[in-house]
Amino acid sequence: MTPVSITCTDLTLRFPVYGVDAKSLKKALARVTVGGVLGRHAGVTDVTALQGVNLSLKAGDRLSLIGHNGSGKTTLLRALSGAYEPDEGTIEVYGRIAALLDLGLGIDASATGYENIRLRGRIAGLSSREIEEKMDEIAAFTGLGPFLAMPVKTYSAGMQARLAFAAATAVEADVLLMDEWIAVGDAEFQKLAHKRLLKLVERAGILVLASHEAPLLRLYCNKVMRLDGGVASEVVDIRRLDELLDV
Amino acid sequence: METATHLLRTGQRGALFQLQMALRDLSNSVQRIGLSWSLAWHDVGARYRGSILGPFWITLSMGLMVLGIGFLYANLFHIAIDVFLPYVALGIVFFGVMTGTINDGCETFVQAAGMLSQTSLPLFTFVWRTVFRNLINLAHHLLIVVVVLAVFGYWRHIHPLLALVGIVLMLLNASWLSMLAGIVSARFRDIPQIVMSIMQFAMFMTPVFWLPDRFGSHSAVLNFNPFYHLLQAVRAPLLGQAVDLHSYVVLVAMAGLGWLGTFALFARTRRRIVHYL
Repeated sequence: MTPVSITCTDLTLRFPVYGVDAKSLKKALARVTVGGVLGRHAGVTDVTALQGVNLSLKAGDRLSLIGHNGSGKTTLLRALSGAYEPDEGTIEVYGRIAALLDLGLGIDASATGYENIRLRGRIAGLSSREIEEKMDEIAAFTGLGPFLAMPVKTYSAGMQARLAFAAATAVEADVLLMDEWIAVGDAEFQKLAHKRLLKLVERAGILVLASHEAPLLRLYCNKVMRLDGGVASEVVDIRRLDELLDV
Repeated sequence: METATHLLRTGQRGALFQLQMALRDLSNSVQRIGLSWSLAWHDVGARYRGSILGPFWITLSMGLMVLGIGFLYANLFHIAIDVFLPYVALGIVFFGVMTGTINDGCETFVQAAGMLSQTSLPLFTFVWRTVFRNLINLAHHLLIVVVVLAVFGYWRHIHPLLALVGIVLMLLNASWLSMLAGIVSARFRDIPQIVMSIMQFAMFMTPVFWLPDRFGSHSAVLNFNPFYHLLQAVRAPLLGQAVDLHSYVVLVAMAGLGWLGTFALFARTRRRIVHYL
């Protein structure tokens, strides 16, 4: 089996952002009928989210992504999860990927905690039986007890974080992609999450974590990369985090 | 979250490459067809949580509609109830499945935005999810069909094989229409209302509630209405009637061309759909 790795070569990602006007067929037709007088691409803006990013990570690497809001961190994580396809360059990932990018997304708020765990498990490729076998362990890890039988929309943000994190990391993933929110949850949960992340690292997995919190990044990561307007810096040792933050 | 242990994405372009990727999406979704079923069952479970009858609620309301319209129109048009009620019952149930599949299709990708933007799950998985969800609903509504056919004695005349062929043809066509609606609705958010209006119009133009014998089977009102052929291919064999050969020709051609066109559009837009959302 090929060891776990992530390789990006000259990764460039552009995508159109559709404004309200561009999402209306009636308005699009109106523009066509007036011969484009009103502007042919009204409301569609092309954004270059990543430009020529090179990245190479191997088993045991824990990379922190830093950069201002809108610098491309989340886009890079989404590209690594396989959701966004590059316009130029390549992305190659060996290993099972688990992405925890947006807490609310991928969770059915009107379904109960148990149902969401089942749903996530199925998406992660577990069979129904495997999920039932793991259910007790996942339920215990969330620490939500009787709340798991209640709809997720009644949960607080911290409780949702517990559920999402427990469900997503229950599957033995090799590559974990995380955005910001790991800081949610109380101290006790932080400790549990910490233990689970360390286990992932022990299994020689890869962690890519986007965050603004330096202490958190120092705790989990051994490498750091800075993104600025979609352009990536070199990957350097986490001890140089302050240098990168100051740029 | 993926089962695959190798992910390769390139910025390669070209129609042939896009076609290959679209075919890979399709084959991946078929390999994980169980996931589509699970998602569909989850939807059905989620929609009817806390209700004792579950999807049978819709069956119940459909049954009441069948009774109401059956008796009312049979009297209005002076048609024997044992001819008209089974006819309307099958019409409402099967036209309902088509409408449901196509209308739900509009939500296929929009609803899955969360999962699509952080996984590499095949897009087709969500198309099957919509189709399967409506199949599960149909399975519940078949209760009406069974009761009506039993009560009025039609079960003796059923052509089971032809009925099955009819259902398969109906599903083949409804699923490409559903996917097409899904892709276009992801890009243009005013499409779902348009689709809904079209389906409502189609319901009145199609012999769901009325008998087509006034027109004769070669009338343009019927023959240029694809929904007439779709409905006829399922309903006629269940009522022990013959289906015109040209209905089958229309349905097979429509399924072939429809899937070809939809797949071509999918190959073109596949990598953009996630950005539409």
